[in-house]
This record gives sequence, C-alpha cells and structure tokens, in this order.
Amino acid sequence: MPIQASPMSYPVFTRSVLVLFFLFALPCCGTIDQRIDPDAPDPVGGANLRSQDIRTMADRMARDIKASGVLVSAPNNQPISFYITSLVNESSDPINSSLIVTKLRTELFRSLGGRVQVLDRSAESLEAVRREREAKRSGAVTANSERRGEVLGSDYVLKGRIQDRVLQSGKLKSAYYVVTFELTDLETTRLVWTNDYEAKFASEKSVISR
Amino acid sequence: MTRLALVLGLNMLFAACAIDMPAVPMRQFEAGEIQAVATAMEEELQDGAAENAALVHNILGECDLMLGDKDAAWRNFATAGRIMGNWSTSGGEAFSAIVGSESSKTYKGDPYEKSMNAFYLALCFLWRGEPDNARAALKRGILADAEVGDERFRADNPLLFWMAGRMSLLMGMPSDAEGFFNEATKANEWATKHGSRGDVKSAVVGAPSRGNLVVFVECGLGPEMFAAGGMEELARFRPRFSRARGARVLLDGKAVGESVVMCDVDYQARTLGGTEMEGIRKGKAVFKSTALIAGDVLLDSALIGEDDDKARTRGIVGGALIVAGLLTSTAADTRHWATLPSTVQVLCIDADPGPHDLTLEFLDAKGRALADLRQEWSVDVAPDSESYYLFRSLPGLDRLLTQ
Repeated sequence: MPIQASPMSYPVFTRSVLVLFFLFALPCCGTIDQRIDPDAPDPVGGANLRSQDIRTMADRMARDIKASGVLVSAPNNQPISFYITSLVNESSDPINSSLIVTKLRTELFRSLGGRVQVLDRSAESLEAVRREREAKRSGAVTANSERRGEVLGSDYVLKGRIQDRVLQSGKLKSAYYVVTFELTDLETTRLVWTNDYEAKFASEKSVISR
Repeated sequence: MTRLALVLGLNMLFAACAIDMPAVPMRQFEAGEIQAVATAMEEELQDGAAENAALVHNILGECDLMLGDKDAAWRNFATAGRIMGNWSTSGGEAFSAIVGSESSKTYKGDPYEKSMNAFYLALCFLWRGEPDNARAALKRGILADAEVGDERFRADNPLLFWMAGRMSLLMGMPSDAEGFFNEATKANEWATKHGSRGDVKSAVVGAPSRGNLVVFVECGLGPEMFAAGGMEELARFRPRFSRARGARVLLDGKAVGESVVMCDVDYQARTLGGTEMEGIRKGKAVFKSTALIAGDVLLDSALIGEDDDKARTRGIVGGALIVAGLLTSTAADTRHWATLPSTVQVLCIDADPGPHDLTLEFLDAKGRALADLRQEWSVDVAPDSESYYLFRSLPGLDRLLTQ
C-alpha cells in the first residue's frame, strides 16, 4: 500500500526548508566591501593590536608629551629637536611597528607645531641625505648655498617597546599588551618622560578550530 | 517530485558547503617545476574557495621562496599567518561545520602547520632586517604548538625555540636567548626520546649560538592527512616516502658537515592528539548509522503494517530518518599543507665573510649522495652579522634561480 503523508504537511515543510535554505544561502551572496570607522571594533577579530589601539595610543602619547612640557621649555628660546627610533617588538605578534611610529610622529608634529624640530633619523633618510649632500658637494646636482648646513643634532630620542604576556590554557587564551614609550635626554641620558598604552584581549577557541 | 526536490535542496544545503582541498600539482612540485605550481596556486587564489586562502597562501609562499621572491613570500606567509592565528569564528560557520560538513569552515591549519608558517614567516622577517618581528612570529609558533590536544607534546618543537634564541641574540637580548636555548634543549630531548628523528645530543642545540652561516635544509615531503574509519570520521596522518634523509654541505669544495634534524614534521603531525571535533564526528557517525538502521526498520514495518495511519506515520518518520542519516556528513576535514617538508634540518658554519660556493649533497637512508638532487649555490656571508639560507631537496632548484 503506498504511503501518503498528510497533504497539509508539505507546504509547511517546503516553506520551512526554503526559509532555511535562503538563510544559509544569504551569507554566500557575494563580497561586500564597506568603509568603516578606524575606531570601530574590528570585524575580523583577533587578539592583537588593532587600528583603534594604534590611533588611541598615538593620540594619547602626543597629548601627554605636550602636557608634560618637556619638549616646549627650551633654554634661550631655541627650538628643541628630537627623533623617534623604531619600536622594538618583544611581543609574540609580528607587527609593522613603523605604522605606530609614523602615526605618533604625525600626532606630535600636529600638536607641537613649529616649537620643536622633529628629525627624521631613519636609516633610509640618513642615507638619502648623505647621497644628496655628496652629489651637491661634488657639483653633480645644483645646490642652494643659503640652505647649506650641518645635519641637525638631537636633544632627545623617543623610543619604545611592545611587550605582551600571553596565557593559554585549553580553549582559553588571553593576551595583555603594553606599549611603552620613553623620552631620553641625549645629553644626560636622563629619562624625562615615559608613558604606556595597555590593551588586553581574551579569546575562546571554537570547537571547529584546528 | 516534491520529495525529490526537497532532498536535493537539503543536499545542497549541507553537501554544497563541503570544501575540497585545493588541487596542488604535487607531481610538478616534486619534479621541481615550481613556477607551474605557483601559477596553479595563483589561479586557486583567484577562483578557488576563499576558505582555503591560508592554505593556498602558504603553498604560494613556499613557491616564492624557491623562486627567489622573498618579499612575495613574506606577504603570503604573513597573510596566511593572520588567518591561521585568528581564533575568531562566526556562529554560522561553526554551526555549518558541526551540523553540515566539517570542511565547510575556514582552513586554519593544525598546530604543526601553524608552527611551520611561523618558521617561514620568521625567516622572511629576518631577511627583511626585522629580527624582533622574526622572534614574534616564532613565539606565535611556539604558542600554536602548545595548542595540541595531547598536552605531553605541547611546545616540543626545538627548531622554533632555537631560532627564537638566535633572534634574541640579534636583538641584543642574551638573557632571553639563554631561556630559549634551554627550552630548545628540553624540547629536543623530549622529541627525540618520543619518536622524533634527530639527535638527542644535537650539535645545533649543544652549541646554539655557533656559526655565522646558518643553513636550513628541508628534506622530503611531510605527512599526508587522510580520512579513516567506517564513515571517514577519523583524521589520520601517513608519512610519504622521501628519498632524501639529510644533506652534506660543502663550502668552497670542502665538506663542512651534515645537517641535523631540528624539526620532524611527521612527528609533529602525529603527536597532535585528539580534537573536540573528532568527538563530534564520532557522535555524528553513531547518529548516522543509527538513523539509517532505524529508518530502514520503520520503512519495512510501514510496508507490512495493516493500520494505514500507523503505517503512514512510520513511513514518514522512517523516510525522514533515512534522509537525515544520508545528509549527515561525518567525513573529517582532511585539508592539509601538502607541500611541507618531512624534516627541517640545520647546519651552522663558521665562515669567512664574503662570497662562497655552497654545494648541497642530499643523502639517502644509507648515506649515499643523490646525484639528481645535488645543488650548487653562491652564498654571501655578511661581515659582523649572520647569514641565513634555506634549501629544499627538490631537483633543479639551483638551476631555477640562475635561468
């Protein structure tokens, strides 16, 4: 004897399956690119320093250095000069530390204006300066004699390091980051300013992770 | 007809989510035709499943290294590392992988694959002049190695610890280096006592800071993952035959030593331990077999039953159980990094700064040189620094870069 289901059950069942199907199919509709606020939580996730951390730390450090008054109280009204070395990454997360340094330098330049001289002491810049000066001195390229001078010395150096402490146990992991900045007087080696930025992340591994 | 459409729809719902392993042209890879493999992987990246991106980027990174494009390799390994190191998973993805096919999820690799990504990425950072980021990558690899299910085998990769020690020295942090070197010694002792190839009294971990020319030699092909069990619910590894077991290194025509195993990739893979997902797959396998048997019994009883209403109900329930059983995917996700080497070996040489001719003689299990794998390279040892080189036991790679 043929088996027959109730005629009413089919539409309901079919509709349910179709709804389920579209619910599953919806995320597969294609690529969606959208501009988001750099201070908004990162949709990609991950327990590491993100754009909002970099922006916040650069802004906070620039404000704090300005508020400390170290870089604006020069004797004889001479402009103070300083440069920023690259951040040493001691953490377990590879990061383009020049992104942080460049952002901080921009913030400092903006907040301190012309009262200080921010020197570019990067290896590439020093090499470019050396080559250009040699070319000018040898007459290979033209030179503005009024602009001739020495490479500027620096009063301070701003340096920093990224450190972390990662704890991992079973499905749980936490990552605590400390990014420390220090301003050192290059005449006396005195530490004249220091501050840090902290961030902590906790993650729980999904059962499907492998 | 409606029933067929529904079954097909449900089938699409679950089965279509299964993502196959990217088609890696392994014969060409083993023949040293790296450009062909790279082209295939580029196409895979363009047209293949986005969920396989980390896997494809890793293979592309290896190809880039063999083709001499270190910047491209760095980009590929960094991209893969970001995906592999991210624990974030959407609820929908987890649901699909548990209810549907496990291989529908984004490939993030097993701990041994994450460790190898960390090793390659560290080398790329080092070549970029960033020993701090190289060490960061290695530390991430050590943490990944600690994710294995069997806690006895957590963080037992001497290569990562030793490299992290060398990077610490380059960063001017000798106390950190000492800590990493001690861990490398412990990891090497543990691993070699538990089945890893290598030497418990390895010359590399015995004198960890020795040498200004560091030669990494990758031998053979790493393990292959396959689905075992009656319903393919178990993910298992099997080793692949490798002719090259080691390498003898000649510098300017003089033998300077043989490489030492610092990472046995096969050992790292087979000591992973169980995963929660394996338990879920076993549960799904039990459900599947039970549903199929119960569905069959109910359909049978429906056919011979006399009461129309009861027979109809049994028929519907039996049919539904059979459909549910058939749609339950128990197969393990066997996507794996197929182009990894079987071992990563190291030889540290004290060499005069300047250019040198370096010859690699790959050796078989009996210590005989394999003529077709012989490679001749020009290396440059930096003054007042260290130089790192990576070689692979594939034919003609030296010719590849001089073409």
